[in-house]
Amino acid sequence: MQDALIRKLESFEELSDADRAALRAFVPRVRNVPARTDIIAEGDVPGDVHLILDGYACRYKMLPDGQRQIMAFFVPGDFCDLNVFILDEMDHSIGTVSPCKTVEIPRAAIEEITAHHPQVTRALMWCALVDGAILREWLVNIGSRQADQRIAHLFCELLLRLEAVGRVTDNSYAFPFTQTDVADTMGLSDVQVSRTLRELRALGLIHLKHRVLTILDVDQLKAYCGFNPNYLHLRNARWSSRRQVPWLSSVQGV
Amino acid sequence: MTGQDNVEPLVVLHPISVDTRSPDQVGMLVLVNGLLVAVLVRLDAPWHDRPGAWHMEAGLGRLAGVRAPVFDTLKDATRWVRQRLRG
Repeated sequence: MQDALIRKLESFEELSDADRAALRAFVPRVRNVPARTDIIAEGDVPGDVHLILDGYACRYKMLPDGQRQIMAFFVPGDFCDLNVFILDEMDHSIGTVSPCKTVEIPRAAIEEITAHHPQVTRALMWCALVDGAILREWLVNIGSRQADQRIAHLFCELLLRLEAVGRVTDNSYAFPFTQTDVADTMGLSDVQVSRTLRELRALGLIHLKHRVLTILDVDQLKAYCGFNPNYLHLRNARWSSRRQVPWLSSVQGV
Repeated sequence: MTGQDNVEPLVVLHPISVDTRSPDQVGMLVLVNGLLVAVLVRLDAPWHDRPGAWHMEAGLGRLAGVRAPVFDTLKDATRWVRQRLRG
């Protein structure tokens, strides 16, 4: 069940058998959360850390005029609130998009595993840093890309993130988001989203049916929106040799 | 000053064709007291959930960046514009 998490962490750091065993012992409370349900709401006191094992969730904020802004999507293997649990009060909400299987990990368990498994700690830090990087990219997306490129960019990102946790088959993945979800994520209207999806279909770049999105031409779609996966920091897309930090070894050797 | 608050703004619609890269081309410029504040477009493409409804394609001034709902009629749209500009 924790395979998605282990796969995700291993895409950032090499884990030992002991690390993997510690992660497998993680299980505690598995919860099935229906679609469109808050896992934790704005104003709540965060306690446990929530890990998505199956399904999709999102981080969002409601504005006084009823407008919703989605700031992040969570896919299997993602922590919803890895660092948030340190805060006193949630400043945003986390809710499911599709039915989710989540794991609630008590803060103490995170503290325990990070105290004894430095590679896991590093991998968790990677996760938190990549979350930040994704947020930056989304800022760029909303601020500087046209509507059709924004949505194409999101499709490319989800392809890579889901691929990293084994949820892509033949360039197809589950896409339970409504047009309104996409609109609330991209700062667009439902109508603009609807037109853009039509256009991407007409260009032969995507196929979307029965809540499954198929990317028909990955290279073309990436070129279409200028997608650069560097911000996802995935092992297979990375400069692994540069991560050896030889300067650090030499300092330690002195 | 008090008098000005009580005066309903004059909303005028002016037909215009709009390029939306879709079959939705029939549009209306919305002018309030002579100033352009919004461009509405009728949803004529067959795939829309509410064909014939009106979508605010662009807003200017106090409507810039506002995500408006889709309006069943132009009357609904002008009512919404009045409310937004009054608030």
